[in-house]
Amino acid sequence: MKTRTKKLRLLLVLLILLVVGLLISLLEGPVETNFNDLWNLIINNDSTFRTIFIDLRLSRALLAFLVGASLSLSGAILQGYFQNPMAGPFVVGVSSGASFGAVLCIYLGLNIRIIGFSVQSIFAFASGFAIVSLVYLLSQRKGVFKVETLLLTGIAAGALASALTSFMIFLKADSFEQAVFWLLGSFALSDWNQITAVVPYFFLCFIIAQWLAKDMNLLVLGDDVAQSLGCPVSSVRKIFLAISTFLAASSVSVSGIIGFVGLIVPHWIRILIGPDHRHLFLFSSLTGGIFLIYSDLLARTLLRGELPIGIITAVVGAPFFIYLLSQRK
Amino acid sequence: MKSKKIHAVFLLTFLNAVLFGSQQKTIKDDLAFPFVMTSPPQRIISLAPNITEILFDLDLGEKVVGVTRYCDFPEKALKKEKIGGMIDPNLEKIIALNPDLIIGFRGNPLRIIERLRGLHLPLFVLEMGTNLETVFIVIEKIGTITQKEEKAEILVESLKNRYSKTQTALRNVQHEPRVFLSIHGTGLWTCGKGSFLNDLVEKARGVNVAGNIPRKWLHYNREQLIHDNPEVIIILSKSETEFSKVKEWIKNEAHLKGIKAVETDRIYFLDENLATRPGPRLIDALEELARILHPQFFKEER
Repeated sequence: MKTRTKKLRLLLVLLILLVVGLLISLLEGPVETNFNDLWNLIINNDSTFRTIFIDLRLSRALLAFLVGASLSLSGAILQGYFQNPMAGPFVVGVSSGASFGAVLCIYLGLNIRIIGFSVQSIFAFASGFAIVSLVYLLSQRKGVFKVETLLLTGIAAGALASALTSFMIFLKADSFEQAVFWLLGSFALSDWNQITAVVPYFFLCFIIAQWLAKDMNLLVLGDDVAQSLGCPVSSVRKIFLAISTFLAASSVSVSGIIGFVGLIVPHWIRILIGPDHRHLFLFSSLTGGIFLIYSDLLARTLLRGELPIGIITAVVGAPFFIYLLSQRK
Repeated sequence: MKSKKIHAVFLLTFLNAVLFGSQQKTIKDDLAFPFVMTSPPQRIISLAPNITEILFDLDLGEKVVGVTRYCDFPEKALKKEKIGGMIDPNLEKIIALNPDLIIGFRGNPLRIIERLRGLHLPLFVLEMGTNLETVFIVIEKIGTITQKEEKAEILVESLKNRYSKTQTALRNVQHEPRVFLSIHGTGLWTCGKGSFLNDLVEKARGVNVAGNIPRKWLHYNREQLIHDNPEVIIILSKSETEFSKVKEWIKNEAHLKGIKAVETDRIYFLDENLATRPGPRLIDALEELARILHPQFFKEER
């Protein structure tokens, strides 16, 4: 009962933070705007303000929310999956793999769209998926699956992908600003196409994750125990690995690599409301999204220009994470 | 009553087509994207310093409403609204300025260009090319889209005149000195085959020591530089003070002492803003560089 009120209270706080965050995102920007302008937009539908408020600021805040939610959900799944607090989209190699694909695309000079998706996004997606599949297959020896091997192969494959990415960037120094985008992340150029590209994946993955959350709780007890309790362990594991990859790769394909979110947000939530995955997934997604809305707000207002958002997430996230850890005992 | 109204509308549309329709023309920019020309643009945003310089030279200074934070020439450009940099122009500011023409170039990130197009902004993107002659084409193109063809033609004509004058003065050059171009202050950053700076050195009858490396910008190897033994070192910098700092650094670098240019003190200053912007002032840079490399052919002028 007590945890229930605690969860409700947290949910309420998060929703308030979300609404406030969205509102500040709408009003804050290089062009000075206030409530009156927003009101004018609603009443008169002024086209300049519509572009600024809806096409630029709102799309940006929503994309930040979606990417934060996707990365945090991906991290929450992976940490449960590996029963390892170190796990996250980066550790398994998804993010590095996805950014490798995107940069490869720049290197080859491919710049077309296929049914609304840029080739870069498709490449990012495919190579993120390829790396994880490879890592997954390599860590299976004679049908026995080893978590340590998977994590270590993931780290090695991720390092290889990053090195190749850096190499291509070095060869093509002319597109340096692209490199900064793919390696440190940014929402500066977000648009509605990107949102429509990410939304279906996120909700699909979220529903599946929520559906299988009970099985995830069983997996934590160990595969043998889970199996004996009626959980189809190997297929559940495959599904979880697939959706966490999907979530991370689709995020990277629209916003570049944004570090720290997928790793720390699930930890915050676990510290706050406990390890039950049925709630962990929802709260992680919500918190991750809100965290990125505020981080992006800082990234675009702190200096005259834009800061890569990866800097903000690490600077804000790491100390808070350490603080929470120290409070736990 | 109603039909009269319809007739009036028809008549107006017809008149409109007759009077203004002929002016509506579609041309393609250097990314092959169509650009619809209607009346002469009144609110222009420039996404690069050389474009700003060309616009001011075409007497369009009054119509320029936004420039980058690097647009510092002519002085009047400093007073214009800043829309950010070349690689990080701010979309909000651009939209708020309500432009009817945005001139960008291939140095603006493609992602930005696509985003601007996605917002249905009137964007025209220019390719700056790899040689000096492209400047003439760029000026003519800007003249076309701003409907200042005549002015552009006059400007290009005078620039071409100065260009051929330099070439005539250099026609009897016997020896083309080996040149090392230092850019970006300290360190041995230079330009390779694909840059118009390399073309500038060639047109001034010099040999760029890094001129056979198929990259635009690169960090040169010290060993390689000693081996190439350039006779002249040109330091591109923003100011004389910055130049003397870099010059001091090169002269004090023990490994570089044996290089001919250092021994004979042929280390010269070239205004970075002239040489790195493919605009009208690139010809100034050419004349300057030609004088530095071959002073004997320019004696009578001074």
